[in-house]
Amino acid sequence: MTAPNHRRRRFKNALMQVFTCVCAVLVTLPLFLVFFYLLKSGIGAVNGHFFTQLPAPPGETGGGMANAIVGTFELLGLAALVGVPVGVLGGVFLSEYGHSRLNWWVRFAADVLNGVPSIIWGMVVYGLIVRHGLGLNLFGAQVGLIDRGYSAWAGGLVLGLMMIPLIMRTSEEVLRLVPNGYREAALALGIAQWRTVVQIVVRTALKGIITGILLALARVAGETAPLIFTAFGNQFWNRSLADPIAALPLQIYYYAIGPYEDWHRQAWAGALVLLLLITVINVSVRVLTRDRFSQRHS
Amino acid sequence: MKLLNRCTLIAGAALAFAPLNSAFAQMLINGAGATFPAPIYQKWFYEYAKVDPAIRINYQSIGSGGGQQQIRAETVTFGASDGPMSDADLAKVPRKLLHIPTVAGADVLTYNLPGNPKLKVDGPTLVDLFLGKITKWNDPRLTGQNPGVSLPDQDIVVVHRSDGSGTTYIWVDYLSNISKEWETRVGRGTSVNWPVGLGAKGNEGVTGQVKQLPGAVGYVELIYAKQNKLPYADVKNAAGHYITPSIESVTEALATAKIPDDFRFSMVNPPGEKAYPIAGATWLLVYAEQQDAAKGRKLVEFLNWAMTKGESMAAALDYAPLPEAVQKRVLERIKTIKY
Repeated sequence: MTAPNHRRRRFKNALMQVFTCVCAVLVTLPLFLVFFYLLKSGIGAVNGHFFTQLPAPPGETGGGMANAIVGTFELLGLAALVGVPVGVLGGVFLSEYGHSRLNWWVRFAADVLNGVPSIIWGMVVYGLIVRHGLGLNLFGAQVGLIDRGYSAWAGGLVLGLMMIPLIMRTSEEVLRLVPNGYREAALALGIAQWRTVVQIVVRTALKGIITGILLALARVAGETAPLIFTAFGNQFWNRSLADPIAALPLQIYYYAIGPYEDWHRQAWAGALVLLLLITVINVSVRVLTRDRFSQRHS
Repeated sequence: MKLLNRCTLIAGAALAFAPLNSAFAQMLINGAGATFPAPIYQKWFYEYAKVDPAIRINYQSIGSGGGQQQIRAETVTFGASDGPMSDADLAKVPRKLLHIPTVAGADVLTYNLPGNPKLKVDGPTLVDLFLGKITKWNDPRLTGQNPGVSLPDQDIVVVHRSDGSGTTYIWVDYLSNISKEWETRVGRGTSVNWPVGLGAKGNEGVTGQVKQLPGAVGYVELIYAKQNKLPYADVKNAAGHYITPSIESVTEALATAKIPDDFRFSMVNPPGEKAYPIAGATWLLVYAEQQDAAKGRKLVEFLNWAMTKGESMAAALDYAPLPEAVQKRVLERIKTIKY
């Protein structure tokens, strides 16, 4: 008697299984498409010159993006200098100290900042730093910190500012995962609270914090819009952090809108290198998190 | 702790590039602006780095509007623009700003038709195309000028720039020059209110749209059309001849254009027999009094080089160099820059 009903259920079950499976494939499909398309279009222009030479003007063969690759690393380094201390310490405050009402506002602000489009960050830093420079008035004497104009400092700052809310929220989350028993045990043994935080809590959660930092770096590594307003781009080596600096996304953008076939090839190659860089960061995140879980389960 | 050490090591390595680079003192002069001359400027700055190894000139093509704004804000040492600045815009600049013309280029009409035949058009036809008055490819005005070409009974799709651009400035400057109706209804500018058509960003955007849409028509820079092997039309000039856009026909247009003392000139629809009518110059924007003496001196040295050696590199990259008489006038003006 129940056979038709049963068959219908099995059919429904199979249908939904296929449906979810198709959706799962659809999620991963764009990644593979992007990767293979970039590989196909870009691999031809990836050679020794690409990693060692400066961009060549149209009509000259060779030329590469060495300055943009180094520039991207420099910008990420500067961004980490800004984003990591503020982000991690902010996360420590939210998780270890904090005051519930203040915490609510800080979290709210961080979540809003996470949603701010990157071009807005660029405009803010352009308006505050690039247009007017950054200086301090110390007892009447003007001390210039960052001069007016485009600079690597401004580019690093904008990426660093974007990293702060990301790092702060992930740091807070992983610090909260540290069992309260650890804190209580440490305090019960008479260890000072700061020491408990630094040597017990942060250390336990360190891999998670570093994972958050790497993810934030991967997130800002591909930003173009805020860098147009700040780091500006440079077709030569950057000799001083007070000067404009090249970055992979900027170089890709300028080459992609240019009229020359050779520029387009280089833009593809640049995109491929940028994607590989981000993939490397993401893979190291996976390796780190796998470590963390295997330790916890053992 | 091992992990932390490793991380500081990586961060340290990334930052180590910075002091390594700054070991050699080198002056960097920054400029920004027009996209159209970016390839020739990049060539110039690349070559000039060999002429004077003590300086590097960094140019970023952020668009003509951006170039005007950044030189006004003085975030760069020089700006660049495909259209001359208006009197109203010049009034907002903090100090006296000079227009230094460098090279000229042309706008061409590109299209997507079966077989992409060579087309001939005159000015009034262009005006009516972009006003939306000619809607079919087999319109008598198009077939009349193109005997022997079979134009299909197909709708025309107009593609124009959606962003502010010097290419647009030259195009609408020409249309305004030959048509009172265009001048009053649409007018001049780096971006205008188009009566018909689809917008696309950049020369590459217009190129893409035209390539994708059968029956589409749009305007791009000559270099863009040549590099991307797009078809482009001959245009009837003021003397009544259909002229193929080329460096030669743009040079002719430059030779017959009237150039005022402040170098803010329009060269559309010139009287020359062999002149292509839809062409325009591009300018560097430089303050008459440089704030930074060292950079000012180096900039003037570069400008002198550009007006002599630099101009001879233009043709190889599909830009029309300035006529020698104009080069001399510009050199005289460069001498007046104070630093």
